[in-house]
Formats: sequence, C-alpha cells, structure tokens
Amino acid sequence: MQKPHRIVLDRVSAYADEAAAFMRRRRVARRPFARLYYPHGRSADHAQDSHSGAELFVAAGRLIEVAGKQEKG
Amino acid sequence: MPDAAAATAPDRESAEGALAFLAEMSPDLRGAAILGPEGEVLAATGEAPERWQEDAAALFAAADGAEGAPVEQVHIATEQGEVFAVRNAGLAAVTVTDRFALASLMLFDMRSTLRRLASSNSSSPERGQPRSGD
Repeated sequence: MQKPHRIVLDRVSAYADEAAAFMRRRRVARRPFARLYYPHGRSADHAQDSHSGAELFVAAGRLIEVAGKQEKG
Repeated sequence: MPDAAAATAPDRESAEGALAFLAEMSPDLRGAAILGPEGEVLAATGEAPERWQEDAAALFAAADGAEGAPVEQVHIATEQGEVFAVRNAGLAAVTVTDRFALASLMLFDMRSTLRRLASSNSSSPERGQPRSGD
C-alpha cells in the first residue's frame, strides 16, 4: 500500500500534468483576436479582416512596438 | 480616453507607484501606461510617454468606434504580443504583455490598480471632491 504522502504527491503531479497539457493545447489552438468588453458584461469579437478589427490590430501593433523598445524588467 | 467618472487626476508619483506595483504583479508585462481623465499619461514604462498617449488614444478611439459605444476593457492578442486596456474610475491603463498571458488575471490586476489609485486620490485631503468609484 502506498504511503499517504505518495498519494498526495501523485495527485498533485497529475493535476500539474493536466494543467501543462491544457496550456499546450491553448497555445496551439489560439489565433489572433480582438475582443471588446462593454459595461454589464457584454463582449464582442472583431475579426482581423473586418474594418473595425483591422483598426484595432493596427493600434495594438503600435503599442506593442512602443513597449518592445525597452528591456523586460 | 478614460471613462467619465474622473474628477481630478492622481499625482504622477502615485501613478508611478501603481505602475511599478502592476509590473511587479505581472511577470508577462512588457510595458504599460496609466492615463488620466483627459487621456494624459500619468506614468509609463520606457522613454516615450508621448507615444503611449498617442497610441492609447488611437486604441480607445478604434475600440469605441467599433460599435459606437464606449468600451470598458480591450483585449487584443496578436502574434507579437497581447494588448490590454481598461477604463476604471475615470482612469485608464494600457498594458502590453508576452503572448498567452492570463487575460482574466491581467484585467483584474489592471482594474484593481486603477481602483486603488483612484481611491487613494479621492481620500487625499488636498484633492478635490470624492469619487463615486466604478
């Protein structure tokens, strides 16, 4: 019979594996998106090829450029 | 531009402290800025606060124009990084992070940073009238 601490360690390890797999799947599946959130919890996605989406991505690109000019702290 | 609840802007020292705290809490952060009620930069990382002001204004203009209504939060994920913008308590924060930053945590940290900054401003005795909060 396994000691109790081994059971806890195995359980924690299993959860960590699950979390790592979730993050891997998320990285593979995730595509660029622009999501806007409005008061009262409403949100809306804007596709990159739409007019509004294109403007959002251009603005975001400029901000990334500004932030990218400095060293990570 | 930030939302309409702002009365007076927090001082730059408080904003810089809030920005440093936000950066400390968010390991994925590349850069950020906190904007006052008129869209002016109160604190920003890096050497180009005027660029933050200009580009944050462009982002909020594009976001507000998307559906003709003012947004509360913005999250844009690109191949180069992710951009978050939040309006709260009359202030606004814009951050740029590495890809795959945890959005809910990032937005929560930004909201709470702005809320804390606004409440510290309204509780300051030499400042103007109290704020209503969110």
